[in-house]
Amino acid sequence: MPAMSEQERRPEDDGRDFADAAWSIPSYILSGIILYGGAGWLLTRWTGVAVFTPIGVIIGVVLAIYLVYRKYGR
Amino acid sequence: MKALTVLAAPEEFKAPGPELFDIPPVVSGVAWLTKPVLLALLSSLVVVVFCWSAFSKPKLVPRGVQNVAEYGYMFVRDQVARPFLGKDADRWMGLLLSIFFLVWVWNLMGVVPFLQFPVASHIAFPIVLAGTIYLLKIYLGMKHQGPIGYFKNMMFPPGLPKPVYILMAPLELLSNLVVAPFTHAVRLFANMFAGHLILAFFSAVGFWFLFEQLSPLGAPVGVISVVMTIAMTGLELFIQFLQAFLFAMLAAMYIGGSLHAEH
Repeated sequence: MPAMSEQERRPEDDGRDFADAAWSIPSYILSGIILYGGAGWLLTRWTGVAVFTPIGVIIGVVLAIYLVYRKYGR
Repeated sequence: MKALTVLAAPEEFKAPGPELFDIPPVVSGVAWLTKPVLLALLSSLVVVVFCWSAFSKPKLVPRGVQNVAEYGYMFVRDQVARPFLGKDADRWMGLLLSIFFLVWVWNLMGVVPFLQFPVASHIAFPIVLAGTIYLLKIYLGMKHQGPIGYFKNMMFPPGLPKPVYILMAPLELLSNLVVAPFTHAVRLFANMFAGHLILAFFSAVGFWFLFEQLSPLGAPVGVISVVMTIAMTGLELFIQFLQAFLFAMLAAMYIGGSLHAEH
């Protein structure tokens, strides 16, 4: 029995990392859009420069993907 | 019955819409007592009776209901609990198994003849489950990693260059504390909502062309719709299982993440 549980642990750890990453990506990207897209939208409201909102959204997505890459990638 | 109410105007086909989910109270005047509430109660009863009859007097060599339930138990343990909780898996099996079975039965209510309403398509139900897991996640995190350590580990995962934390910390916080529980509930709700609409649409089209307005040109469309209803019911059965599995899996993932700090 202990041999079996020992055998099972290894691939499971890999699986956990992979699943963690896979299920975290949407929520990180959504957060990036809300946070930095929201900041851009506020800037647009205050300054009247419309381009801040899409720039914020793009920055948010890029940051979220970078975060996932650094946390789970490589 | 549903098709009849949808097709009340006889001359023009009206596709079923969100009004499918506006269900009047069973007893007029008692606003909370609706069909989904009764189905949720029935589902809890089904899960309790099923688990009771399977596990109350367990035999070493399982038979009958116990045999079936043990397949479910092993599935949840090997696919949901162990990958995310490792050696803590057995302690959380009671919760995870209950969640998996309950959500699955909720979803199955969508295709049980005459009942035909997926409980989770009213978002209040998934919100309560996801909210419970959310509170549990924060409680466990603060208990196992310390009240401040939990949020510190969450906002500052190791391995990032220092200046990046200014940009990343709020992202982590928002993702873990707001977006994750939100998507946890919405994923289940939206799948069941959309699935119920699709089934209602195809059955309504079939009913319309084969019964309400039978015509040589319309009949083949009606036949296709009936075939699609059957095919979509099959797909829906798969999605119902998948969503129950995912809901339990994400619960295990959140609990596991709170018990141990990230990498």
